[in-house]
Amino acid sequence: MKDLEIELCGERLVLLPERAAYRPSNRTLLVADPHFGKAAAFRAHGLAVPGGTTAETLARLTAALERTAAEHLVYLGDFFHARASRAAATLDTLARWRDAHPHLRITLVRGNHDRHAGDPPGELGIECVDGPLPDAPFAYAHHPEPAPACYILAGHIHPSVTLRGIGRQRQRLPCFHFGPRVGILPAFGEFTGTADVPVSEGDRLYVVADAQVLEIG
Amino acid sequence: MIRIRRPDTTSDPRIEPAERWFASRGWEPFAFQREVWSAYLDGESGLIHAATGTGKTYAAWMGAVLESLAEGSATGAKAPPLRILWITPLRALAADTEAALRAPLADLELSWTLESRTGDTSAAVRSRQRTRLPTALVTTPESLALLLSRDEARALFSDLRAVIVDEWHELMGSKRGVQAELALARLRGWRPEMRTWGLSATIGNLEDAKDALLGVRAESTPGRIVRGLVPKDIVVDSLIPPTIERFPWAGHLGTQMLPQVVEAVEEGETAIVFTNTRSQTEIWYQALLDARPDWAGQIALHHGSLDRARRDWVEDGLRTGKLRCVVATSSLDLGVDFSPVDRVLQIGSPKGVARLLQRAGRSGHRPGAVSRVTCVPTNTLELIEVAAARDGVRAVSVESRHPVERPLDLLAQHVVTVALGGGFRADELKEEVRTTRSYAGLMDDEWQWVLDFVTRGGDALSAYPEFQRVVVRDDGTYVVEDRGVARRHRMSIGTIVSDASITVKYVAGARLGSVEESFIARLNPGDRFVFAGKPLEFVRVRDMTAWVRRTKSTKGLIPRWMGARMPLSTELAASLRARLEEASRGVFRDPEMEAIRPILEVQARWSRIPRADELLIERVKTREGHHLFLFPFDGRLVHEGLAALFAYRISRLVPISFTMSMNDYGVELLSPEPAPLDEALAAGLLSPQGLVDDVPASLNAAEMARRQFREIARVAGLVFQGFPYAGKSARQLQASSGLFFDVFTRYDPGNLLVSQAHREVMERQLESSRLGQTLERLSAGRVVITEPKRTPPLAFPLLVDRTRNSVTSESVGDRVQRMKVALEKAADTGR
Repeated sequence: MKDLEIELCGERLVLLPERAAYRPSNRTLLVADPHFGKAAAFRAHGLAVPGGTTAETLARLTAALERTAAEHLVYLGDFFHARASRAAATLDTLARWRDAHPHLRITLVRGNHDRHAGDPPGELGIECVDGPLPDAPFAYAHHPEPAPACYILAGHIHPSVTLRGIGRQRQRLPCFHFGPRVGILPAFGEFTGTADVPVSEGDRLYVVADAQVLEIG
Repeated sequence: MIRIRRPDTTSDPRIEPAERWFASRGWEPFAFQREVWSAYLDGESGLIHAATGTGKTYAAWMGAVLESLAEGSATGAKAPPLRILWITPLRALAADTEAALRAPLADLELSWTLESRTGDTSAAVRSRQRTRLPTALVTTPESLALLLSRDEARALFSDLRAVIVDEWHELMGSKRGVQAELALARLRGWRPEMRTWGLSATIGNLEDAKDALLGVRAESTPGRIVRGLVPKDIVVDSLIPPTIERFPWAGHLGTQMLPQVVEAVEEGETAIVFTNTRSQTEIWYQALLDARPDWAGQIALHHGSLDRARRDWVEDGLRTGKLRCVVATSSLDLGVDFSPVDRVLQIGSPKGVARLLQRAGRSGHRPGAVSRVTCVPTNTLELIEVAAARDGVRAVSVESRHPVERPLDLLAQHVVTVALGGGFRADELKEEVRTTRSYAGLMDDEWQWVLDFVTRGGDALSAYPEFQRVVVRDDGTYVVEDRGVARRHRMSIGTIVSDASITVKYVAGARLGSVEESFIARLNPGDRFVFAGKPLEFVRVRDMTAWVRRTKSTKGLIPRWMGARMPLSTELAASLRARLEEASRGVFRDPEMEAIRPILEVQARWSRIPRADELLIERVKTREGHHLFLFPFDGRLVHEGLAALFAYRISRLVPISFTMSMNDYGVELLSPEPAPLDEALAAGLLSPQGLVDDVPASLNAAEMARRQFREIARVAGLVFQGFPYAGKSARQLQASSGLFFDVFTRYDPGNLLVSQAHREVMERQLESSRLGQTLERLSAGRVVITEPKRTPPLAFPLLVDRTRNSVTSESVGDRVQRMKVALEKAADTGR
């Protein structure tokens, strides 16, 4: 795994190829859009999606936490995908994961899916707040909307970028996208799609390519 | 039309009423019509093949009419319940078919009701049909599947006597044909004595067509193949560009030929100008109008995206001879006779002999006339294709249509349909499905997998208690209980045909037709495009409708629809190679070959004209990178597979990334660094050995299967679009087929739908058996490598007219690093 450390608003921020960002100064790990139980919600409606995506998402989360030794985990919204995501097996997997990480402080900044799906159950020990959640010089939110006197770190978009090379090659990769006042993290969940983001002059773009994070253009 | 009197065949007294009805119209039945009538009355099933417009419709229909007359259902009596199903591939044909079928009913005073039921049927008629179906129903495979999904499906068909499938050749090579096979098996299970008749154009494999239509049950009668009228004389000629030197080497618009086309249209009373794509139709319609503004009102366009009412108006104009010219796609290939048509033009290569015959057959229905089709080349190389197609017509080498072998996505759909339509028992349905040609070889484990897929959401090893689709009752019956599942399933039946379509409407309200969503998705408000012959400005999308307004400017963006590009057929490809072989020896037969001579001489000077036993490889360096052009001349489908295979085999030698493009003539491999061609040839680049491993390996890299999965996901009911009443919760169930594919590949490697995607790519896209034959041919022949300074004529279209894929043996990181460098370079130069 090859991380990439950047400076943002005078703060160090480590971009992880697990598709998360780590802030060393207060040992905070930021994760956007896990969409837990999305596959279960699909199954509940008769769409045959295989199991294992929640476990894989959690395994990646464990890896990121262990590598960074983070003490505080902040979800930038969309914890559950839908109300039907609260299936017994999914809740059980999440509870067992929580038992294995008893001392971790976890906060969820609510997103649009959380409004329909509801907050995570109390035994998962997740503090739920409406964004933006200030943590100067940043504020954490789900929707990437600028706010006064802080730099917003958000999710919601599931950003990706399509790279084109000589010989007309194309490659679509999830990315971190930092604009002048808002930064967007890639979607963390295993069973989530992506959307290409428009890039403006002066934006900073970092793609997740297999096990590394690379700066682009 | 001249009918030849054959008095000796009138010996069956049962067919007298039909003889009399024909006589009342001034007609004399053909021998094949009499044969079918008698066979029908004997309870036989079969397949009738002949060109369009030669009386197949009444051959099949009058049998059913005669039977009913004999039973004495007369006027005044209540119309009998559903007896005859008439299946048509295009809902556009339903109205014409209905009119043709109606004629004898009134004259013979049969108390039948006759109605259509397709996607175009009005809500009022649908609602009436919900309580009572007509005696004879004209419908599509999708609408039939929907009927089978009704609770009371079995009762609906309890009086069914016969199913007649029109244009079977058109259906049989597609999943819609398999959908029809499954529906027929279902109906036959309920009504074992039911007759099945198919109407087909003449194709290369009529036995397969018959088996697919009639099923393969051992105890069933063999069924007969009836040959209709022998084709008329067919003339294939072309409009030759006046100055070949200035004619483009690539492209597919061909509007340079406009003056000649206008002249040809003027020569005839009524002309059809066939194109290969809907966008070409729009372009040519505009161009003809611009050239002859005085033709406004006498010229029209016709394609499958247009609104039904508009198509009806056009077809009516053709039938009555009111229109001078109609520009059309394959939407006019099928269906009823347009007798006044005396001139048929084909823009671009017909790409196949059967298609050319079908289109030629649109003209010359007047006494003594021959069928003639005039091809209009859109680039120089198409002249060779026209000459080759003429050879194919002369040799009567008509293409086959290959039925689809047991697609599991469609089986999953069918199983849910049957579960909805009254339910089933597993073993009974398995045996029923196996009576179709397509699923005759269905393995027990495949069947079990499909059953698990719809009942458990995966194979038997995984248990998902929350999964809800088909449930097994205690008595062993499989049914659907969840209303949401039922609604979604019914909405997704019939999405096989095309991409999600979006209605095009004026802001003021009038409906224009529909286009693929993928096209609309690329538009921004204010963009202009031409649709239905009108320049339009795109306003916005709302409620599955694209709102547009008229614009004055005719300089618009032309719609480019998906999926309309036909590959060259095997038969035509072989004729093409023979023509090139002649040219390489300095023989230029026919006006087309004489015309293209200067261009082929440039090819010979800069590179070489390949002989039939040679594989020409051209290496060219341009600003884009290093190009390898290889010319197997075997059609785009085969080339798509060859491109992936060649790229894969070379990339095993050195880390390299290729971008590939292909057309009907050859393959281009483009790489940032020169490819080690000589080394690759020595290592067996062209060898048919190892194909079984190499093709799937190259496929993974090329992601072709992932693309193919789009259709499979839709058919199997994983992805669906457009639920009018679904509400917000449906949005949370949307995921792209690509995401499904990735998740299946990673978490459920045994998923048979994923295997099917690979298999479909192998068999249908790449035609792996044809791929093997091509490699046998190439490796038995000689390789000729040239290094032209400029891009020669044969390679030129590959350079400018591309459809692309890529293959790489580098890591993602390496590729990204290099792309990054390229981006920076581009930035430095200020681009």
